Amino acid sequence: MTPAIRRRPFLPLFVTPAVLVAVAIVAAMAAILRYSLHAYVPGSLDVGGLTLENFSDLGRPIVLRALRDTVLICFETALITLIVGYPVAYALVRTRSLFLKSVILVTAVTPLFLGEVVRTYAWTVVLGNSGFVNATLRQLGLIERPIQLMFTELGVIIALVHVTLPVMVIMLAAALAHIDRDYERAAQSLGAGPVRAFLTVTLPLSLPGVVAGFTTAFAWTFSAFATPQVIGGGKVGVVSTLVYQLGLSSFNFPVAASLSLAGLVLALGTMWLVRRAARPLEALGGH
Amino acid sequence: MLSKAVDLSPPASLPGAAVTDRPTPAVRLDGVVKRFGTVTALEETWLRVEQGEFLTLLGPSGCGKTTLLNLMAGFLEADAGEIFIGDDLVTATPPYEREIGIVFQNYALFPHMSVAKNVGYGLRMRGLPKREIAERVAQALALVKLTGFADRSPRQLSGGQQQRVALARALVIRPKVLLLDEPFSALDKNLRGAMQVELKEIQRRLGVTTVFVTHDQGEALSMSDRIVVMSAGRVRQVGTPDQVYRHPQDRFVAGFIGDVNRLPGRLESRAGERATVAIGDLRREVEAEALRDCAAGAAVDVFVRPDHLGVRPMGEAGTLPAQVAALVYQGSHIDLHADLHPDLAGSGRVVVRMPGHGALATYAPGTPVGLLVPQGGLVAFPPEP
Repeated sequence: MTPAIRRRPFLPLFVTPAVLVAVAIVAAMAAILRYSLHAYVPGSLDVGGLTLENFSDLGRPIVLRALRDTVLICFETALITLIVGYPVAYALVRTRSLFLKSVILVTAVTPLFLGEVVRTYAWTVVLGNSGFVNATLRQLGLIERPIQLMFTELGVIIALVHVTLPVMVIMLAAALAHIDRDYERAAQSLGAGPVRAFLTVTLPLSLPGVVAGFTTAFAWTFSAFATPQVIGGGKVGVVSTLVYQLGLSSFNFPVAASLSLAGLVLALGTMWLVRRAARPLEALGGH
Repeated sequence: MLSKAVDLSPPASLPGAAVTDRPTPAVRLDGVVKRFGTVTALEETWLRVEQGEFLTLLGPSGCGKTTLLNLMAGFLEADAGEIFIGDDLVTATPPYEREIGIVFQNYALFPHMSVAKNVGYGLRMRGLPKREIAERVAQALALVKLTGFADRSPRQLSGGQQQRVALARALVIRPKVLLLDEPFSALDKNLRGAMQVELKEIQRRLGVTTVFVTHDQGEALSMSDRIVVMSAGRVRQVGTPDQVYRHPQDRFVAGFIGDVNRLPGRLESRAGERATVAIGDLRREVEAEALRDCAAGAAVDVFVRPDHLGVRPMGEAGTLPAQVAALVYQGSHIDLHADLHPDLAGSGRVVVRMPGHGALATYAPGTPVGLLVPQGGLVAFPPEP
């Protein structure tokens, strides 16, 4: 036995599951990498010889548009989730009422417990032309013809914000809970009203949480499939739905695999850029 | 000498009437009450903090001292009563309009701002011109001997330096009142003493009215102009350090301020302001005020400081019979623990504080001794119900 294990006998017990998961992920990634490097044989699930041909297919306009739209949709979703989630997280952390705390927490976290498919179809009921939103607006006399929400980017983003919100709220709440209330009190005693105390003290101190929440929301949205597939209805092309079409409609596994890899690189690259841009902000929040 | 006792209860006349014959206090609490749910954190409290005074709120945790501080600061709203800062009624004024400076227990320095930005924060909130801010920040840093630290981050400072920054930040706005919330509790013992002296010096030089919250009676005695002793949400006594130390008004104050021994006694007689109590065969005079509800012959508790007792041979005049239980070496002095003779009803363990080290050789455990009880410096209270 190595000294590390003798000192912490529970170590193998904890590490083994992590190793198994890691091996499974690496194996899956390796399979995708293998597919992406082999030629597509039309009409067959088998692949041909080694080639880089698949990656040149990624230059086609439909693929480029999907990559661009994916990044935009993820960015917009993460931003809207941040704007909606921050006040919720703030209220969650700061309220003294236990009842209110529970209500906020349950409401904010529920989307995580609904299955993705159930949640997505629920949104089609809400967003459809005779759905809840349009029916209400029409009853109020605000609109004459229904607003098109299904099969639009707006509809997809609304549904994505809903499923991303729990992650954002939990991450922001964790960051806000670490900020000592005395900072706000000190600011107030020095003459800052509640709004200025928030803007000059609480908000800057919570920025590391904001960055973490934003990048996580971004990655969370990037991998969404059922929502853009069902709500977008084929009219909103993102990487995940395009991979699905290529792989399971055309059985073109090699190009689907290379697009998956491109998406992965794009997601990681964008997150890296966001974190890098936010690095000066991160330094603010240390305690 | 105990005229300050008037602060304990509502004045007989209207509260406003008291103001005319005394200068406007820096802070005045008129019948302030604070409850949390069904718990009364602060019972009806009447208090004046005089201009330029260093007033200490002293008591064990949960006594209501922090509640009182937060009421003055405006972080809590009173359930009844009025609070004045100077001439202004501030009962419903939010903290950011009260013109107060606070040094928090953990200092609460903004970690994302430099020392200078921290100190200048209150001035920026007041919209002062940049040049004036820079000047006043430099003055404040000089005051706390931190010139040259302006561009540091609070994280790069020691605990003592952080406290100086917090003090400079609170003082730079020229507050009407400076509130200190257990500011020394995070410092190690040596630094604490030095910071206490320095803080007191700064306070005296600026003449800023200061309300200081602590549970440490040593700090309270050494720094305060007056001490407000609190327990269980009530003000027990208001007085100078000497008054609360030598003339405690109830048994809580007697037990909380300084070390104290309790001797079993009996009320013999009362004459005007003085009363005679019997402790064993001894007769001693005490103040009668605290014993006004006791009948002659009633059991009373007599309190005496360890350093007021002396040790003599057994049987000497003016002594109580006892037996040495232990000697505890304390460096500058020795604590002799002795058991009173069992014939003394309600007797117990008594501590005598002896200067010098001769006692170590003279009084082995088990030695019978006489405890010399002084003629003065005793206080007596009715026994606990």
